[in-house]
Amino acid sequence: MAAIAVHRFAQSITCHAWSPDHSMVAFCPNSNEVHIYRLLQDKWEKVHVLQKHDQIVSGIDWSARSNRIVTASHDRNSYVWNFEGTEWVPTLVILRLNRAALCVQWSPKENKFAVGSGAKTVCICYYEQENNWWISKLIRKRHDSSVTGVAWHPNNILLATTSTDGKCRVFSTFIKGVDTKDSRTGSSSDSKFGEQIVQLDLSFSWAFGVKWSPSGNTLAYVGHNSMIYFVDDVGPSPLAQSVAFQDLPLCDVLFVSERMVIGVGYDCSPMVFAADERGIWSFIRFLGERKIASSGSTYGSQDLYMGLLRPHPTTPFELEPKHKELIQLGIWICQQFHKSLILMKDDFSVRMVVESSFILYQFSEAFVKLYGQSKHVVSNDAVEPSRSRGGIHENCISCIVPLRQPGISTVPRFSTSGLDGKVVIWDLENQADLSVYL
Amino acid sequence: MILTDTSPLMNFPCQEVERHNKPEVELKTSPELLLNPVLICRNEAEKCLIETSINSLRISLKVKQADELENILTKKFLRFLSMRAEAFQVLRRKPVQGYDISFLITNYHCEEMQKQKLIDFIVQFMEARFLFTITYLTA
Repeated sequence: MAAIAVHRFAQSITCHAWSPDHSMVAFCPNSNEVHIYRLLQDKWEKVHVLQKHDQIVSGIDWSARSNRIVTASHDRNSYVWNFEGTEWVPTLVILRLNRAALCVQWSPKENKFAVGSGAKTVCICYYEQENNWWISKLIRKRHDSSVTGVAWHPNNILLATTSTDGKCRVFSTFIKGVDTKDSRTGSSSDSKFGEQIVQLDLSFSWAFGVKWSPSGNTLAYVGHNSMIYFVDDVGPSPLAQSVAFQDLPLCDVLFVSERMVIGVGYDCSPMVFAADERGIWSFIRFLGERKIASSGSTYGSQDLYMGLLRPHPTTPFELEPKHKELIQLGIWICQQFHKSLILMKDDFSVRMVVESSFILYQFSEAFVKLYGQSKHVVSNDAVEPSRSRGGIHENCISCIVPLRQPGISTVPRFSTSGLDGKVVIWDLENQADLSVYL
Repeated sequence: MILTDTSPLMNFPCQEVERHNKPEVELKTSPELLLNPVLICRNEAEKCLIETSINSLRISLKVKQADELENILTKKFLRFLSMRAEAFQVLRRKPVQGYDISFLITNYHCEEMQKQKLIDFIVQFMEARFLFTITYLTA
């Protein structure tokens, strides 16, 4: 089993991040707060709540060396949280945005971070010592739509972005006074701040979840048309590969090693992509157990058929009080039927009444099922095994975070969180068929 | 199956209005955030329109009304449902022009409920409606 730990923290999680030693997890429970939990004697305990935003928090990143948390929210603001004494102290970042911030990431050297926004801009933020202030510099007029993902190149200068206009772009973010000349290894040209290095126009649909490989040689991002794109030699003449798969689109990707990528998304199970010796990428398999899901169309006709074959009820139905509304509906419909059929033969109208109430009963069943499950998401009594995906996550996975060990470039351990409120830690160490790619 | 394929929705704030988060399929302000709508027709009287955007999905149904009586029944039945749209969560109060009933599914519904069950609900709703017609015709 590739998943080594599963814990359901909340109803729904938008994003999460781990502390440098992986003992604490910060996540947003789909609200304006950020909760920090610590593992104490095999039990997760809430230790801090970060309350400063007033709309949903869309991005969290916890820096590995400086132990700072940066959060971005739909309320257009971003905060940097420093741990002082026993409290997390926020510092407001002047983003100068007029739309929601969507994603955030620390640069590898942790002296800058990037925020993608719905204002079609990217903010590069850096600390100004004299003002004790995080300043942002904007990359404007490059994106035609919201910026959905940002990723830093290991050289701390290049930044890749994805946008809902379907394009992936790479920018230089060289800031005088923050970056030194010699840190710009690899790019000989004098690239100024905000200069676009390359624009990749591979996807016909929205692009999400961009990531660099550990060495920075390969770039991966996903399109909403169930495609994943791999780009080598990012520069004037990039080499691109597109891999299409038949399942639902992905939201985010993660490079486990130079030759393996994990993609997560709407299909509730992480997908493994790997490159062979020639560097050709392909889909390998799903992670976690997954039964073959029957297609929706067969289910539909079957159920309908079953419904028709069921014996007609002759006795009044016993419904719970909470179905009162539906009973009223039934009675009302029956009355309508009665009114309209009053001129017809008697037994016919009676049968109509019975039939219609039976249909309504079926309908109310469906309604109650839906209603009931929204209240008790944990109970899985109504989930028929043939239709459940059989994965560990029950809803879309929106976030994948590496659990990096210092000094090792590959990340066999990573965690995923999704709209089902679970955080799952995965380990690829003992996956025999995947170890060749690590 | 189409429903499953069109269901990936995400929380996506408004690009045009500050601090807003609206279903893009209703606003239609940013054309790049909308996908091509799917129209499934059996004939002029029975059709289904599925419109998708980045954070919302709208399904509109037009059900068969063979004669005056069915017309009235459908109208009354759907009006009754529409008046209680709040309780059904995904039901739209007013159907889209030219259709009898519309559902609006947003990313919030996908967060609260399991997607498969949401889809089952709509499929079952359609079936119930279908059975309704069948029993009426065969009786």
